[in-house]
Amino acid sequence: MPAAAVGFIPVGRSHPPMDRGRAVVYAVTGLILGVTVLSGPAIGLIDLTTPRYDMSGLGEGNVTIDGIELPSSVVLDRGYQSQSYYLTVPDARIRFVAIEGKPTVAYGIDVPALGYSRSTTHFLSDGTVGWTSLSLRQDTLSDDAVDAERYDGRLSLVLRDSDGKTVLANRTVAVEVTE
Amino acid sequence: MSVGRVRALAPADARARLARARSVLVRALVGDRLGLVCFLGTLLAVGLTWRIGVFINDNYTLANALVALADGSLVVDEAAYGSLEAPGMQVSDGQPYGRNYGQVAVAVPLLVALRAAAAVADPGLLFAAGWSLLLLAFAVQVGRLTGREPGWATAGAVAALAAFAAHAALAEPIPRRLLALAALQLGSVLATALVATTAYRLLARMHDRRVGVAAAVVTVLATPVGFWATIPKRHVTVTALVFGVVYAFYRSRAGDGDDALLSPTGFRALAYALVGLYTWVHAGEAFAVFLALAAVDLPTAPANDRRTLAVVAVAFAASLVPFVLTNVAISGDPLRPPRMLSEFGTSIGDSAFGGATGGAGGSAGGATASGGGSTPLLPSPVRAVAAVATERLALLFGPFVAGARSVVADPDSLYRTFVRAGYDGYIGGHDNDQAINLSVLESAPVLAGTAALAVTAGRRATAAVRRPDPSAVGDRLRRSVRTVRTSPAAATDALVALVAVLFTLVYLPRLPLFAQVTVRYLLPIYALAVYALARQSWVRRVFADRGRTALWSYLAGVLLGAQLIFVVVTVGSFGRGGAFQLHAVVGLGVGAAFACSAVGSALDARFDLATAVTGGLAAALGTDLLALSALVYFQYGPYVLPAVDWLADLLASA
Repeated sequence: MPAAAVGFIPVGRSHPPMDRGRAVVYAVTGLILGVTVLSGPAIGLIDLTTPRYDMSGLGEGNVTIDGIELPSSVVLDRGYQSQSYYLTVPDARIRFVAIEGKPTVAYGIDVPALGYSRSTTHFLSDGTVGWTSLSLRQDTLSDDAVDAERYDGRLSLVLRDSDGKTVLANRTVAVEVTE
Repeated sequence: MSVGRVRALAPADARARLARARSVLVRALVGDRLGLVCFLGTLLAVGLTWRIGVFINDNYTLANALVALADGSLVVDEAAYGSLEAPGMQVSDGQPYGRNYGQVAVAVPLLVALRAAAAVADPGLLFAAGWSLLLLAFAVQVGRLTGREPGWATAGAVAALAAFAAHAALAEPIPRRLLALAALQLGSVLATALVATTAYRLLARMHDRRVGVAAAVVTVLATPVGFWATIPKRHVTVTALVFGVVYAFYRSRAGDGDDALLSPTGFRALAYALVGLYTWVHAGEAFAVFLALAAVDLPTAPANDRRTLAVVAVAFAASLVPFVLTNVAISGDPLRPPRMLSEFGTSIGDSAFGGATGGAGGSAGGATASGGGSTPLLPSPVRAVAAVATERLALLFGPFVAGARSVVADPDSLYRTFVRAGYDGYIGGHDNDQAINLSVLESAPVLAGTAALAVTAGRRATAAVRRPDPSAVGDRLRRSVRTVRTSPAAATDALVALVAVLFTLVYLPRLPLFAQVTVRYLLPIYALAVYALARQSWVRRVFADRGRTALWSYLAGVLLGAQLIFVVVTVGSFGRGGAFQLHAVVGLGVGAAFACSAVGSALDARFDLATAVTGGLAAALGTDLLALSALVYFQYGPYVLPAVDWLADLLASA
């Protein structure tokens, strides 16, 4: 609200320095309130609140890939002082040559003996090229669920683009239990 | 025309009246300018951690009850959030109701205000604008306090503008339907600020303003009060009420000066009235506080004449009106709060306290029982009344007896509640197998300093025993009773101790319990323990002589310690349970060191430097827990401040 600022500055000039501080306070208050109201639903002059990631058109587009690396082992670690187990899956790596649109890649693990399945979906953005790491969120398993020393797991990378779902890679991995 | 004349005269008069009203409001709520600074500072700090969302599934109950109440209905007929089958939903006559209506009712005007603000401002930017303006107000007030207003005002304006610009650049939309949840959270946030400012006012009056500010900061930032500040559960609200009761009680004894807004009797009535309002939030807890207040107040009051007691009784009765009306409207029984009704759907256990009813029920039941119990030869109707009274009495006092019994019978639970919680299969099973329930000391290592209280007490006791005069023991006992009667501070100490004991006893049989995180049931006890620390002369001596060391130690513990813990947790992929246990183990270690040096300081000033260092670190670990919980461990909704949301996203991807 520049109008408010202009209105107060002359007062500040006539009684420095105390009133100069006050003028700045009023000007900033006016500015903050002004911008908030001008961008609000009643006036809507500008829209300052846009989602950081635009979800429209997700899973559409094309992607060219020329390399994939999946980790060879996964650990089920006893948590620090906490009795439960943490399933930690190392990152997968994909080398993109080109990405158009907003395809997604889901990185997942299945451990059939534990009845366990989990995946993390990554949104790819336009123009990413080169090697990219994809993570799989850590998860907790209860103390009594884990009774063997190792399990067989299966890692997978599933691409979703304009052609639908494509399995990019999968492999069987050993899930090593460590105390 | 006369209307025109009134209009012409009004502005000056209205402005004067407004200024007077404002100054009365400021004095009533925050005391003085420094109290206002504590209030604003707390709002700013808590604002940084505020995520709009549901932390525990019984938040749904209160949020749905608020939406219903804002529409003018006590019955919760639809679930605006989640499901009606959340823990804490109560049923009467087949209709679902919420609970803690005092807390819900406070949120109604906040919801109206938020909805009105959201009509002209984007909710995604609304809180950011509010926070930036608070920052500016904070700077202006600090400027006036230090007599350097222009500099502080200008700096504050620049900082506020920069903060607002950053928030605006990063702002994301916040869905309008979250406003009711936000209103409920705002109620808790304001209660947190009142906790800070009341702690300040109480200890500033007892000692000095520095001690008051330190107590306020430690209460909010070094104990889990800050953790629960933005979570819409009752705990912070009741902590504010408990502190309010203690403050009003103190003022009712230390009637200093004519500038007080209330007479000592007025403050005494206020203490009871706050207990009455407390019943509206949680009747069972309020009953424990009522017992403690009555037990300390009546014997130590300067006057118990009929007029004074009438004033107190009228205020108390009036304060019970909302509680009674709500109960009548829901169950038809004025003394049966929603918590005593049957739960709706499947309960997952967060229904603390099947027992006690309200404070009024307590006194009425007690009176009848003493009349009936001594007269076994009376006709059967009286005996029936006596039986009912005995039954009610058992219901009311049962929790305290059970608590006392569990102290003796189950010391292991006591240890796991207060010292080391560790992992428990049953509790973990309810918390997604994560060891995220900390003990009292693990969540607030600074409270380890209370170990020195035992030394101070022991020292006094040995001094009493060693005294050569044989009549001394009886004399001393009489003298200490007299001290409690004549010294406002000693009487307040007695009140705080009794509230703490009764409150703890009520919950002991249920603890340790899942979904507590920081033993949240005992949240008021943390605040009272900070009071107890601030009352120790060695604490004030360390603070006066080594305050700078303590401050630097605290800042290092927060600025470096939090980063260190974050790195260890991230690099070691600790998971949430492991991270909490890391906080627990480090907290216990530093807490133990602080306890040792505190015991030393209580005996000899040579230990003060060590006490300042360890005390600062212990307080810092409490702050680290709540900062990392807010930014890293628990993310369940959009942060009200876009820049913090951005930072949390950044940390999550690390």
